[in-house]
Amino acid sequence: MTNTVVSRIWKAVSKQKAVLAILGMMALMLFFRTNFYTRSNWMNLLKSAAILEIVAFGVSVAVICGGCDLSVGGTLSLGGIVAVLLINGGQPIWIAFIAAIASGALVGFVNGFLVVHQRTEPFIITLGMGMLLKGVAQQLTNAHPLTSKVLPFMKISNMTFFPNFLGGIPSLVVYMAALFVLFFCLMRFTSFGRNCYAIGGNYEVAKNSGIRVVGIKWTAFVISGATAALAGVLLASQMNGGSSVYGDTTGMTVNCGVVVGGTSFAGGVGGILESFIGLFVMQLLNNCMNMLAIDGFYQKLLTGILIVLIIGFDCFFRMRKRQRT
Amino acid sequence: MDKQNNGNILVVRDVCKRFGGVVALDHVSLEVPRGGVYGIVGENGAGKSTLMKILSGVYIKDEGTVIFNDKVVERTTPFDALKNGLSIIYQEFNLVNTMTVGENIFLGRFREVGGMRGTHRRARALLDSIGSTIDTYATVGSLSASEMQMVEITKALSFDSKLIIMDEPSSSLTSEELKRLGVIINQLRDKGISIIYISHKLDEIFEYCDVVTVMRDGHVIDTKPVKDITRAEMIAKMVGRSIENEYPPRAHAVGEPLLEVRNLNTHKLKDINFTLHRGEILGLVGLVGAGRTEIVRAIYGADKARGHEVLLNGRPVKIRSPRHAKRAGFGLVPEDRRRQGLILPFSVEKNITMAALERLTRYGIVNSANEKKIAERQIKALAIKTPNASIKVGNLSGGNQQKCIVGRWLELEPKILILDEPTRGIDVGAKYEIYVLMNKIVSEGGAIIMISSELPEVLNISNRVLTICEGRITGEFTPETDSAEAIMDRAIG
Repeated sequence: MTNTVVSRIWKAVSKQKAVLAILGMMALMLFFRTNFYTRSNWMNLLKSAAILEIVAFGVSVAVICGGCDLSVGGTLSLGGIVAVLLINGGQPIWIAFIAAIASGALVGFVNGFLVVHQRTEPFIITLGMGMLLKGVAQQLTNAHPLTSKVLPFMKISNMTFFPNFLGGIPSLVVYMAALFVLFFCLMRFTSFGRNCYAIGGNYEVAKNSGIRVVGIKWTAFVISGATAALAGVLLASQMNGGSSVYGDTTGMTVNCGVVVGGTSFAGGVGGILESFIGLFVMQLLNNCMNMLAIDGFYQKLLTGILIVLIIGFDCFFRMRKRQRT
Repeated sequence: MDKQNNGNILVVRDVCKRFGGVVALDHVSLEVPRGGVYGIVGENGAGKSTLMKILSGVYIKDEGTVIFNDKVVERTTPFDALKNGLSIIYQEFNLVNTMTVGENIFLGRFREVGGMRGTHRRARALLDSIGSTIDTYATVGSLSASEMQMVEITKALSFDSKLIIMDEPSSSLTSEELKRLGVIINQLRDKGISIIYISHKLDEIFEYCDVVTVMRDGHVIDTKPVKDITRAEMIAKMVGRSIENEYPPRAHAVGEPLLEVRNLNTHKLKDINFTLHRGEILGLVGLVGAGRTEIVRAIYGADKARGHEVLLNGRPVKIRSPRHAKRAGFGLVPEDRRRQGLILPFSVEKNITMAALERLTRYGIVNSANEKKIAERQIKALAIKTPNASIKVGNLSGGNQQKCIVGRWLELEPKILILDEPTRGIDVGAKYEIYVLMNKIVSEGGAIIMISSELPEVLNISNRVLTICEGRITGEFTPETDSAEAIMDRAIG
């Protein structure tokens, strides 16, 4: 029993260079006298990763379907702005949430339409959509940051749950965990999730098997947009306001993290857990470099090297495996 | 000069090639004389293309000798073969559609021919030499199929080729264009260039070739001067195959009409009308590209077709997508297993339960216990050889992969199962199992439409055969009473 568990874990680790990277970084940090191995640092790390992780969950659905979504940065910023505008206008918080998520869903709907019905390249179309949304966000805010004046809204992302457990868990981490479970179950146990994998794995086969390929792929983009908008609202709550500058790098970072985790743009493989790990690697690296007080210019360089190495190795080993069979 | 070659440009002696367990070429020998047109005929899968790919260096032979232009060729690459004077014109042209004619002809050799200006000047001269008026500055994508072929031929000439192999050169040509090809072939012959002409279209062989070799199942059956052989003889040699216990006894369960297709027209199909009965195995016979697959894909809703009527049990049904087809009781096992049939990253289990997933789902959640049961049931019923249900489907052998796809549909108990090349690339034992399975399906009241390029298979399995040629149904036969030659004759057109 333990043998199989150990071997399964080893298999998962060796298959996923991202996990190897995490272990490597953690081992490296043992040699430095930093605050890396403290409760507060790990809570901080998780908290700072939470928003991006939530975005990544949604994006993963689109990527598993064989698409990708680079517009999430714009959607994130738009969602936050919509929510803050409504709340400042005197609307209740729940209305602001629903409206923001709906705006994200609308973005996903348009993306899905263009990709599924017009057969456009998802990479380019969502990249363009992201720019468009940034423009919309700038129009809505006059390119100034918006500040919220409502305290309860601010509290949503800045409070602590379970004060007796590990000295309290930041609410963002709890939301992330809840959404992780939700998305994980969606992709693992439902027919929707299974069909997503089928569509990404082979669109033609899925279609021939009578799967509603159009509807499902479309829905995947809607989910991606809605999730990004939800993350945007949480970010606005955390930062106590919305801005068109938020999310400038989110699209690239998240899609990159998803691929680093092992969810390929070709579709049909990977999963929510993999995406979580992939994004976590990037956040962890950031954290480590901050701990070691590495110059900001070198940080970009090192992040890039790590991404290229992980993806390069993954592809290299997959190619070797293919050649052997 | 080597005396043994007797002035032959190409000598092939005892060449063998195996792919896994399948023998594609078994001691094949040919002698192609200098300056002449040498025909090779054979059914699909007879080994013609494999032989050509060995000559051009795409594949490497397992055994045997190849002597080209008095030099023994051990290993070669497609580009070396070209430089040595052997070029192949494939059915699908090897041209870059976005580049100009001249650039395509001298692709990769611009410096040798003196830059762009030299390229176009030389291309012009070569095209003129075969009497073609194609503009060397035109992009290849804007040319017709026959013009593209001209460009391919010109490209072959630019390498100073001594032997040009044409693989099914007429498949994409109209009859007018075919005449022009004939003129070109005669010009090439006058220049002393040898040609190997591969085709299933026997008329062309009789028109152009001096000598013809018939291949079947990876063997050379016979080589004769064309004037010494008749069309009937040639067909007999192409088809004739000793049929032992390769096939189970034919099922006899034909009942009342089940499916009626009326006036099916698409850009490739003309006036397709046919009826399928309960308990019947209906074979569609034709050359590759004749429209067999297009017929079933149109009925299944996988390709768009308009204006046709489909009657199921006498009642009209509208099938606009595979989803509708599935609901109406159809199942499709497509011709290309790996590209159209299987989801390779998926396990055996998930591949089997794909189509039946809706039945396993309640409130959107897949019942994984039932899913396992279904998979186990089909694995057992079809005797799929797999260590367990959760390994990736790509690890199975071809025959077992095919059974997974069949099992996917059997779980839904389809009324009509469409099998497109169900035994392609699988070994004899697995083939037999597939035939038995087909018999079982029809004896339980299902009906099967079967497409196969292996004529003996269709003739021994189906109750009725339709021949398809150039998008039309050209004949209807009962294979128990009609001769294989008559059927082949109609299929070739």
